[in-house]
Order: sequence, then structure tokens, then C-alpha cells
Amino acid sequence: MLLVALRILFFRLLVAVPTLIAVSALVFVILRLLPADPAAMSLPPGATAEDLARLRAALGLDRSIPEQYLIWLGDLLSGDFGISIYFRRPVADLVSTALPNTLELVLSGLLLGVIVGVAGGLLMFRARGGRGEEALDVVSSAMMSIPEFLWALLLILAFGVAVPLLPFIGRMAPGMMTPPGVTGFLLLDSLIAGRLDVFFSLLLHLVLPAVALAIALAPLIMRVLRASLVEVAGDDFVTQARLRGLSEQRILFAHTLPNAALPTISLIGVQAGFMFGGTVLVEVIFGYPGLGNLIVDAVRNHDLPVIQLVALVYCVLVLAINAAVEVIYLLVNPRLRTH
Amino acid sequence: MSAARFLTPRIVVGGALIAALVLVAIFAPLIAPNDPEAQELLYVLLPPAWAPGGDAAFPLGTDSLGRCIASRLVFGTRVALTVALTAATGAMVLGTLLALLAGYFGGRIDWLVSRAVDTWMSFPPVILALILLVGLGAGVDKVILAIIIVDWTRFARVIRSEVLVVRRRDYIAAARLAGFSHLAVLAREVLPAVAPLVITLLSLEMGIAVIVEATMSFVGLSVESDVAAWGVMIADARRSMYQAPWGVVLPTAAIFLTVLGFNLLGDGLRPALDPSLRTRGAR
Amino acid sequence: MSVLAVEGLTVSAKQAAVLRDLSFEVAPGKVVGLVGESGAGKSMIGRVLAGTLPPGFAVTAGSVRFQGADLVAADPRARRRALGDRLTFIPQEPLTALDPLMTVAAQFGEHLQRLGMPRSGRRGAMRAALAAVELDPARVLERYPFQLSGGMCQRVLIAMAFVSNPALVVADEPTTALDVSTQMRIIALIRTLQRDHATGLLFITHDLRLAAHVCDEIIVLYAGEAVEHGPAAAVMGEPRHPYAASLKASIPPVDGPLHRLVPLADTMPGIARFASLPGCRFAPRCPVRDATCAAAPPPAIAIAPRHTVRAAGACLSASGAAAAIPMPPAPPPGAGPPVLELRDAAKHYPARRNLIGLRHGPGTTAVAGASLTVRPGEFVGIVGESGSGKSTLARLVMGLEAPTAGRILVDGADVTVGDAAARSVRLGALQMVFQDPQSALNPRRSVWRLVTQAMEAARARLGTGTRAGPARPSRAGRRERAATLLAETGLPADLLDRFPAELSGGQKQRVNIARALCLAPRLLVADEIVSGLDVSVQAQILNLLHTLRDELGIGLLLISHDLGVVRYVCSRVVVMRHGEIVEEGPVEAVFRDPQHPYTRMLLASIPPDDATLPWPRESDVASAAAA
Repeated sequence: MLLVALRILFFRLLVAVPTLIAVSALVFVILRLLPADPAAMSLPPGATAEDLARLRAALGLDRSIPEQYLIWLGDLLSGDFGISIYFRRPVADLVSTALPNTLELVLSGLLLGVIVGVAGGLLMFRARGGRGEEALDVVSSAMMSIPEFLWALLLILAFGVAVPLLPFIGRMAPGMMTPPGVTGFLLLDSLIAGRLDVFFSLLLHLVLPAVALAIALAPLIMRVLRASLVEVAGDDFVTQARLRGLSEQRILFAHTLPNAALPTISLIGVQAGFMFGGTVLVEVIFGYPGLGNLIVDAVRNHDLPVIQLVALVYCVLVLAINAAVEVIYLLVNPRLRTH
Repeated sequence: MSAARFLTPRIVVGGALIAALVLVAIFAPLIAPNDPEAQELLYVLLPPAWAPGGDAAFPLGTDSLGRCIASRLVFGTRVALTVALTAATGAMVLGTLLALLAGYFGGRIDWLVSRAVDTWMSFPPVILALILLVGLGAGVDKVILAIIIVDWTRFARVIRSEVLVVRRRDYIAAARLAGFSHLAVLAREVLPAVAPLVITLLSLEMGIAVIVEATMSFVGLSVESDVAAWGVMIADARRSMYQAPWGVVLPTAAIFLTVLGFNLLGDGLRPALDPSLRTRGAR
Repeated sequence: MSVLAVEGLTVSAKQAAVLRDLSFEVAPGKVVGLVGESGAGKSMIGRVLAGTLPPGFAVTAGSVRFQGADLVAADPRARRRALGDRLTFIPQEPLTALDPLMTVAAQFGEHLQRLGMPRSGRRGAMRAALAAVELDPARVLERYPFQLSGGMCQRVLIAMAFVSNPALVVADEPTTALDVSTQMRIIALIRTLQRDHATGLLFITHDLRLAAHVCDEIIVLYAGEAVEHGPAAAVMGEPRHPYAASLKASIPPVDGPLHRLVPLADTMPGIARFASLPGCRFAPRCPVRDATCAAAPPPAIAIAPRHTVRAAGACLSASGAAAAIPMPPAPPPGAGPPVLELRDAAKHYPARRNLIGLRHGPGTTAVAGASLTVRPGEFVGIVGESGSGKSTLARLVMGLEAPTAGRILVDGADVTVGDAAARSVRLGALQMVFQDPQSALNPRRSVWRLVTQAMEAARARLGTGTRAGPARPSRAGRRERAATLLAETGLPADLLDRFPAELSGGQKQRVNIARALCLAPRLLVADEIVSGLDVSVQAQILNLLHTLRDELGIGLLLISHDLGVVRYVCSRVVVMRHGEIVEEGPVEAVFRDPQHPYTRMLLASIPPDDATLPWPRESDVASAAAA
């Protein structure tokens, strides 16, 4: 079983390599369409034309685009991720601090969204044909019509301003020291350092942003799961299970739900990818120090080395999460596994 | 075909919302109580007229520059609906065309389209849009272009698999055997079969386009910062949201109602347009 | 004491009785058959027993006593305790009746757990039960349903149905989804187990001939009513109710002399029309009806011990079936070159590519070098079980697939390569009637636009210019042609503007045929065109094919799994197996004296019309198992 999973994962990642190369080239070319000159923007106002030329040469901006791309790719492979034009720090440093924060946020949002979505889907299925289902249907329609970043603002208004229950700015209470970096994941590091106060502060700061992400995901899961439950409930094997005298409880959890879960798992794979997009503005709004904040700052300042790397990191994350979800799908579905 | 099939609650509510918004956008100058750009620095951050301290001249209050929120909301519909209509239609045309070709002919074109969709899908759409706007430069026309370039895959992915289903139907083979050319089969048999799905997706995509435009306005990559757009309004009001929450809530509500309208319409149209639900005697 | 006693059972939906006043008993070790066409209500009784009536349906009169206890009045928990234990079910679609995500062992184990068997004994019980249905437990237990054939899945389900030594087994069309040879083996198995356990069996089927061999007693249902109820041999041998008689007369026989089938006109009324039929529900179609029939439900008349017919005296005295008309011999094939010729045509599918684009394994050969000739006006049948390659052969003929070897000639012209020239040759000579009208008729086209689709195509090809050429068909011209086509296929003209969803199954299949006739082809290729239809509608379509031959001189290549259908319609038959033609010859010669063992086995798999002949015979079952 584990072997099968690893083999599938290996092949998935093998297939992901050309995609990554295509993505990196795409990003590179799009960014070179830029009308403004990033070098000019990073120089002080009094700089001369020679200063500019020198900087352009230093940054490699004077070469042709394919050349620039190959140089960048080569640097990337040799571990040189470049220097931020705006922050004037190695891009690798910026990304390695921001990445664990974004991952913590996405995973919490995903977990929360899946739990609420699956529970809601089951509830809708149980209430099918009645007023309860209609009500849940209307609520889910409404919830889907508000994007994550507006949920973020509404949550701040509700639980940060109107009823101040939860913190809504930053990653932890001001004045707290970042625990010594072992894994880079602050939640883990604070536990390792034995700083429970930091841990709880981190957790509290995670609640609102994670909820904002989860609210956008849950109704989708709910509806897809409900639809597949209804479909599977009409299948022959469910009827046959009933004719064997199994209890409705047993039929739902042993037969209907596992079969209905397959399309939901696919959906989660796609939506988890989209969720990384959702984090961008949510991070901006909560002042959460993750990749989203980083890329928005970089975009505002035309900081190409940062944009390039962060975009690539997002792609790696999406591909990784897709591969992980696909492995789960294959493990759950024997038809694909035993091929 | 009876009109009654189209009179479901979803279609009626969704259609009414969208129709109302379209009217507001068209007649914005007549509806808006004030000039949306005019700054009344004596009246900044006024609450709505019914709240204590409100002023009847500004029914929904003013923002931090003393501009009339109601008027800015009204004019904001123009930006939102323009982007929704043009960007969604563009993405639909591009995505549907590629999906039809890929799903019907298979082979190399299918491989190419599928790989392109895979590559696009490995980007969170927001990230791709951000990068495109860095490359293309800011502006509402660039936002429209970015949405088309990013979101054609939503159509291509879903419609391609529907085309694959339709293509296996015997009536496609029957049309070929009756002498139809591939183009005629695509136009007369395949396209009508996927049209309900295309229309549904179009409606949903309009909602998505509204959100993307608001997002890009919020980050400052769409319209000029003084143009009345809902995303700009939210970004402006965010700084003073503790004193004046309505500045955030009102444009959020506008976005919500617009997207809800498109979503309800899309959800409602799918079953109404599906001819397999047209049964014996139900003419 | 009987296992099951049904007394005056009436199931109603929306004030109409879906089942009306049904009474019968099943004694231990006995088999009772419920026979009827789709919509007759034969599956309703299973739903009553299981307590799974659809919403809106309810038992409104009568009683159902299972082992003495009233099932209708029983509370759901008590009923559920009986289900799967003392009362078990064998389903219609074995491939979908097992949970696709669970191995056989997991599902069987779950069933044994439900029966209260301790974990330690389950493995052994499963092995014994699977061995009893002639499956190798070692090969089956850890498999998933999709890795098993339909026949194997059905054996697993039969093993589960009998493992608790039930008092009653309900088998609802247990072999309809299976090939004939598999059907014979499954029937033999069910009969053996049922006899060994002295189990009562309720056998539900649309196939009167099959029921006659499986059952002790038969109940013929029509529109929710038991029209005839008696010993199997008597009902099959000499049906007394006009409906039962015409049901028998609609089945094309595989042996004995051929007579023209006498199908009933029209179709069975649906539930929606029951309320408007207070009297005999068969009266509107009955050949011997009189004014009194429609007034009140006819009484059940005992015509012999344990043999009752629900009929007025008049129906019984009149002979239901008209005098049998012997089949005229088929006209000799027309002169001239063959319309269709296959020379060693083959189709090989390469193995599928895996994730990184490599092909695994040798692929499959659907058709291996088939040679075949069809002369003008000739009716040729291709028979074979699933996987024999007969449908692929049809697609090769039509140019929907390209052959990987061999040649195909139409009217003497080589059409092996499907270029524009080949397309135009085929367009002038061949048309295809597809199996499933649901899939073959575009639901967005009205009937007249469907049947004249080929004229629309001609119009598209000719364009709208004024260049000389064949006249562009106008809308009026198309509607006129459509009306002619409907008349030729026996459809009323008022269907012209209907949509497929508004047609019955038989009507759809006629539209399907009418469309193929539009360009007046010389050869129709028909793939299983009657397999989804009830026998009376099937007989109508088969007679229509004869009419078309007589009136239009058209030829036919008929692909069918049903040997009786091919014998009735065709003059020559081709038997296919695993992509190869194993036997070919004049229909009567092949059916009377089959040369290939596979043909012999196929013929032996069909229950004979004479219910007193033993079937299935042990030697045939053994040879089917060996095949």
C-alpha cells in the first residue's frame, strides 16, 4: 500500500517537472513585458545614466530574454535565488521566513473547511427534500458569493471591532519574541521551545484568517458532497445493502459516504490550489507575514526577483498538494490503484 | 418549451438582482444623489442618514475624503458590470472554442490544450492575475485581459469533459453517417448539447470577474485610484474601518449582491436549460 | 405451511392501484414466477417485501404473510431483522450490486457480521459458500467487483443470498444482464441451491419462456394485475388469457416451425392511465373485447385446479391467438455485386498508455480477420455474446472505426481508407440503426428534423449558392419526406413535431430506423436494435423489418445476441466468438444442425419453447462451463 502510494507520488512529481519548467518560463516572459524598468525604480533620484547601465548589467537586464531566463534557471538550480531589489535581502531568506506561515494558514484553513464542509454535506443529505436542506442551500449560496478577503474584513469587523474576541493583526501578540527557529513553523517551534504563551498567541492569531479561508471552501465541499451522496444513495449496491438488512447508519458510513467521497476529494485537490490564491489578500488584510504579503509588496514595487521566486513557490505548493490529494484519491479508489 | 421552467426562485431572484444592477449602471447619473468624485472635506466619515449624526444629503454617508458613498456605489456598478460582461464573455469564447476542438478531435490538439490547462491550474488564479498585471501594467482594460487569460481554463476544463461525454453519444456518429462535416457536427450537434453548461459557467464566471476586479482594485492594480470602484472604496475605507465600518460593509454588500445574483442565475439556469428534463406531454 | 402468502394485495399511488388484488403463495422448495413486461408491476412485490416502496406508494389493501407474520404491519426493525437472513434478494445488475470500494471478503464479511456470526468463523463460512457457487475462494475473496465478470459477481451475490439458509429468496431478473450461456449456468446454480436448501423462490422475469423452465407456477402480470396464474407448463403450453397468449405469440422461437409473430398493437398503459381504466386494463388492446370488459374488473375464473384466469367468459371461449400464419420464405438475394464485402477485416486496439506514456501489454484484438459478403436485399444476422466483436464489426463496416488489417468494399468500391471518396460511397449505400435510441437521437431535435437529418447535411454540403446541382431540400420538402418516412415505419404523422423525450421506447426505435431510411440506403446495419424493448414491441419492430424488405428491397446486417430474433428476421447467420467468425450458413441449416461446438452450446443455452423439455441440461451446463 505504502509502496503503491510512493510509486504514484514519484510519477506525479516526475510529470510535474515539465509543468514547473513551463510555469517558470511563462512567469519570466510575462514579467519581461513590463513597461517600467525595475532597475530605474530602485535607484535614488539623483542617479546618472551610467549608474543605471551599471545596475542593469549587474542585474543581467541588458541581455536577451531567453538568455536572462537560462541564467536565472541556472542560478536557481545552483541554489542562488537572487537578491530582492526592494528589500535588498536574499530572496531565499524572505521566502523561507514567509513560507511556513503561509503553510500553517492554508493547512488550518483547509482542515477547518473540510470539516465544516463534510459535516454540512452530511447534514444536507440527511435533511434532503425538506426545509432544512433548502435553508442550508440558500445559506451556502450566499456564503459562496463573498470572496475570502471580504470575509476577512467582515470577520475583523465582527470579532475584532464589534465584539473584540480575537486578535486580527500580525502573527502573534506584539512584543513577543519569535521562538528559536528549528523547523521554521512557528507553532512547532514555540512548542519545542516550551513557550505555551507564544503557542496560544500564534493559535489565536491564526483563527480569523483560517476561518476566512474556510468559509469560502466549506460551501463548495458541502454541495459537491451532497450531490454525490444523493447520486450514490440511488446506486444498486446501496439498495442491495438495504436488502441485506444493514442499518441505515451502517449503509451511510460504510457504503454511501466512502463512494460519495471520491468526487469531493478531487474537488478538494483543485480548491486547495485555489486556496493559496485566497491567502494572498487575506494575509494582506490581517498583516500576516506570509508569501501573500511578500508578493503583494513585491508587485507594488516591481521587485522581479521576489515575484519570480514566490510565484514559482506557489506553483510548487499547488503541484505538491495536487499530488498529495491524487495519492489519497488513488489509495481510496481500488479501480485506479490496482491498475 | 414553456416559460414556466424558467420561473424558479433562483432564476427570478438572480435575474431580478442582475436586471436591477444593470439599470442602476445605465442610469447612474440620474440615480446618484451627488457627484461621486466631489470631495466635501467638511463632511468626512459621515454615517448613513438614518444613524445619529447622519446627513440627508448623503444617504449612505461619506468616506474619509467626504465623498458620497451612495453615489460612488452607484457608479461602481458600471466598472463591475463592464468587467463582468466583457471579461467573462472573452473567457467563455476562448475556453469554449479550445474545449470543443480538444474534446471533439482529441489527439495532438487535445494534448496541447490539456497541458496548457494543467500549467494554468498549477497557478492560483490570483497569483497569475497579479503577475500579468505587473507585466501588462495596471488599468481596468488590463484587468479584463488578465481575467480572460487566466479564466479561459475554467471553461476549457469543464466543457472539454462534457464534450467528451457528448462525443460518445451515438447521435454524433449518426450525424457523421448522415453526411455532416466535422464542422457541422460541432456546430449543430455538439455545441447545442454543451450550451446549457456554457451559459451556466458564463453566469458564474461573471460573478468571479466581479470578485477579481474588486481584488485588483483593492490592491491598486485596476482603475485609477480616484475612480469609483467597489474594490477601491473598500481599500480606502479599510484605513478608517474602526470609526466608520459602513465604508467597508456597504461596498462589500454591493459585491455580495452582484455575485449572488450571477450565482443564483447560473445555478438556476442549468436545470432549466437541460432538455433531458423535458418529458412526455410536458410541452 | 407456505413461506409466503400474499392475499388480495393492492399497492396504490395517487389513487390508482399499481398492483391490484394480487394473491399467491410460495411453498417451501417451490418456485413461483412473476412474468410481465416493463411497467407491469412485477418488481413492486419485491419492494413490498423489503419495505422499500417509493415515496407516494403504499399498500392499501390485502396482506403479505411471511412465515406466518404479517410483513405489512410489521415494524421496520422486525422486518429488517428478516432481510438478508430469512428473506434474501438476488439483484438484476450484478456488476453494480456490490460496493465497488470493497473486496468480496470485506462485503461478505460484513454480511456475516450482520447475521451475527463471530469473526473467527467468517473466513471458513465464506470459503464454503463461495465453493458452493463454483467459485475459487482463493481467487475471488481479495478481488474487487470490477475485477470480476458479471457472472462471477452474480455468483458472489447468490452465495450471500443462500449463506443464511433463507426461507425465501427473491430473484428479480437475475440473469437479464448476462450472456445466454452465463444465464444458463446461473439458472442451474440457483435451482440446485434452492432445491438443496428447500428454499422458496420468487422468480421475477420478463421472459415467459425462461420462467416456464425455472418455475413451478407462473403468474402473468399486466398493468398491475395477475391476468393468468397456473402451473408453468400449462401457462406456457396453452395460455388461456388473451394477453398471456399474445405474449407467447410475440416470442420468436429458436426451434420448431416459424410462424409470423402476432404482436399486440400499442403498448401497456403507464401508471398515469390506470385511473381511467376501471375495468379490465387489457381491454383497450384486447382482440376479443366487448362492451362489458371496460366496466368492471373481471373475476378470477378457475379453469383447472390451481389455474385461474382473470377474464370474462367470452375471452376464454375465443381463441386468443389468431390462426398461425406460416412465414413465407425469404426472397432470393438480388443479382449484381455484393453491397458489402469484408476481406479479412481486423481491428486491434493497442494497450493504453500509462502515466509516463509507455504502453503496457499487447492490447486487445476486437475483430480478427473477418470475411463476410452481403448481397443486395439479403438479410444477414451476426450473433455472439458480449466481447465477440460483433459491434466493432458493425463500426468497421460503417467507417466509424478504421480496420487495422484487411479490406472493406461497398458496392465493389474499396472503402478501407475512410477518405472523402469512401464517405460518399458509404453515404449512398449504407446506413446504421443504433442500439440505444436514448443515445442515438439528439434530444434537442424534433422528429422531423431527426429523420431528415441527412437532407440537412446535403444542404450544408451544397451550400446556399445557386450553382447547378441537386435541388437544395427545402423545409417543406423535408417535412414531406419526414411524413413519408414516418408512414413507412408505422408511426402516426402527428409525431412530426415531437421531441424524443415525448416518445415511447418503440416509437423512438422506429424514428431511429426512419432516419436511417432517409437517403434510401441499400443496406441497413442494425446493432442490437430490439434488445432494450419489451417482446410485444420487439415483435412489432421485427415485422417492420420484413415489411421494409418487401416494400423497399433493402438489405440488412442485423447484429444481435438473441438467436431467436436472428432466426426470425434473417436468411443467413454468422456466429462470432472472441473476434472470430466460427460458423456461417443459412439460418435454418445452422439452427437445425450446428457444426461448431460454440454454436451448439449457444443454441443449448436458450430455453426451448416446449416447457416440458428439460432445461438446463447438465451436460450443456458442463460444456458451457468448459467453454
